[in-house]
Amino acid sequence: MRVLDQPPRFLFFTGKGGVGKTSIACATAVQLAADGKQVLLVSTDPASNVGQVFGIAIGNHITAIPAVPKLSALEIDPQGAAQAYRDRIVGPVRGVLPEAVVKGIEEQLSGACTTEIAAFDEFTALLIESPLTADFDHIIFDTAPTGHTIRLLQLPGAWSGFLEAGKGDASCLGPLAGLEKQRVQYKAAVDALANPLRTRLVLVARAQSATLREVARTHEELAAIGLSQQYLIINGQLPQSAIEQDELAAAIAQREQLALAAMPAVLQSLPIDYVALKPFNLVGQDALRLLLVDDNPATEQVTLPPAVLLSAPSLSALVDDIAADGHGLVMLMGKGGVGKTTLAAAVAVELAHRGLPVHLTTSDPAAHLTETLEGSLPDLAVSRIDPHDETERYRQEVMASKGARLDAAGRALLEEDLRSPCTEEIAVFQAFSRTIREAGKKFVVMDTAPTGHTLLLLDATGAYHREVSRQMGSKGLHFTTPMMQLQDPKQTKVLIATLAETTPVLEAVNLQQDLRRAGIEPWAWVINNSVAASRPGAALLRQRAQNELKEIDAVATHHATRHAVVPLLKQEPIGVERLLQLANPADKARRPL
Amino acid sequence: MKTIQIFDPALCCSTGVCGVDIDQALVNFSADVDWARQNGAQIERFNLAQQPLAFADNAVVKGFLERSGQEGLPLVLVDGEVAMAGRYPTRKELAHWAGIIEIATSQSTGSCCSGSSCC
Repeated sequence: MRVLDQPPRFLFFTGKGGVGKTSIACATAVQLAADGKQVLLVSTDPASNVGQVFGIAIGNHITAIPAVPKLSALEIDPQGAAQAYRDRIVGPVRGVLPEAVVKGIEEQLSGACTTEIAAFDEFTALLIESPLTADFDHIIFDTAPTGHTIRLLQLPGAWSGFLEAGKGDASCLGPLAGLEKQRVQYKAAVDALANPLRTRLVLVARAQSATLREVARTHEELAAIGLSQQYLIINGQLPQSAIEQDELAAAIAQREQLALAAMPAVLQSLPIDYVALKPFNLVGQDALRLLLVDDNPATEQVTLPPAVLLSAPSLSALVDDIAADGHGLVMLMGKGGVGKTTLAAAVAVELAHRGLPVHLTTSDPAAHLTETLEGSLPDLAVSRIDPHDETERYRQEVMASKGARLDAAGRALLEEDLRSPCTEEIAVFQAFSRTIREAGKKFVVMDTAPTGHTLLLLDATGAYHREVSRQMGSKGLHFTTPMMQLQDPKQTKVLIATLAETTPVLEAVNLQQDLRRAGIEPWAWVINNSVAASRPGAALLRQRAQNELKEIDAVATHHATRHAVVPLLKQEPIGVERLLQLANPADKARRPL
Repeated sequence: MKTIQIFDPALCCSTGVCGVDIDQALVNFSADVDWARQNGAQIERFNLAQQPLAFADNAVVKGFLERSGQEGLPLVLVDGEVAMAGRYPTRKELAHWAGIIEIATSQSTGSCCSGSSCC
């Protein structure tokens, strides 16, 4: 493992949910401890199972792991940290100011930025010289702050006249308001991050083109602010030995090879490690040690697990219910990489196949999916917006109009505000909103939507209208705000897209809570790329299918009012035929098991 | 010297970029505040999302919030008394309260607009 070669004091593992950051961070920690180093492992994974992995309760304080000499661990709960942060600001006025006002303030502090800043606040102390951590040779984090957060903390404008003077100014940052520590501490922490002698950033990805594209973006963003010492780990690769005679396994392996061959150039020059998919659960230090071992002989000794018999509703069955309304807006929501664009296309094709007029509009960065559908079905119209272009246009508009009168520090701050994830969300949603109006007559299917938090902030006027209408009673006043359209299940159906894995499901649960806060009840969940639904023959894939069942069951029984499971296909689901197959797996002749 | 206090509504980011449309009045007002401060005015600003305690501790502001809600903000106090609500003051109004003599302004009406479209 190149990543273990002369590691500096701080190691950060970053990547999207479900790629295995936490497992790899654990394995790295176990390995370094075995080499005789004192190691502290810090997990901010909301699904943190570090305690479970080592068979001990950990929590929010440094805890020695009895089973692994020289290893200690600490769990930071980002949601809990954000709640504590909100309480510091809102707590003193709860019950003093009107309830609606308090709620408004809380919403302002409920975004993803606040959660991230709060988590960063928690681990700042670990990055600076302190007796607390003096004994550790290595501190390993299973997460890393985003470029946006680091840049904010680096901007003098974000701090000026704020923490120092103790007095706010409209030109200082909301999310920084509840920070407790001194500015010098944040500066020291950011400096430690940007110092290649002290910090190594490890990008964790899967051998999938979408994931690799996203990782390349993270790489460039973080390199630009000084985190130049970066490594790449391709996790969960299907080993050649696992293919056996299984067509699906062979197809997956081939797809992975293609994705790796087409890896963005900026990643190819990094030191890269490949970690094979393992047939065992990553619990206990023995399993973790084996994770980073290349050729694991145990792989071949695994007995063939029984075939998984999953009976779950298909996407086509969900579309039956959607089609019944004759028109409306369908929005696919979920974290990046779960296949929202593909699922949106599958829903649109299913609807058009039934002779219903559909407009599919996507933010598909690769464009190939959208292009292949253009003109393929008479009732299907396809359009695409480029999120990057839309965001850039929005930024320039704002800088030209609103930034014109600001001084240099003010402009820098405005520019950074405009690089926040919320800005992209808003810019894309604005671009989509032109199409949304068509949903009164036909179906409009979108592969993205703003989060509940953003909607609530955008709906400030809508809330006011509702208040007015309440006071006026039911008579008079006919109006709808965009928010009211999204809240009405007759007009809008939100489908949550996820994968049958722990972290993606947990992220989807958080998304659902966020939407509910905005009064939007997700209509259904769609579990994408399910190996269990593909009925694999190879042992390693059957093992994975087995692991999926627990997650699928949790979605079906706890999280979703309706759901569908979409199989992992042998070929990329591009074109009408394959998209129909995605939604109707049962129509295809099943391979004998 | 009179003290001017401005109680802003809850703003997520510095400029309200998170809103659908950025409030140009807010951006202009920030520039006007800078100008007035440079000319010796004493101006304090409080953001509801960041310093809610400043709102709760001031009986006038607290009462205003109870009556009008946060939709009624911004609220401007001059020496502790309500001078304006529901919109941001203009540079001229700030100058008037702070006693700054603006060059090349006739300032014919002693108290500037409280109504719709003036200044």
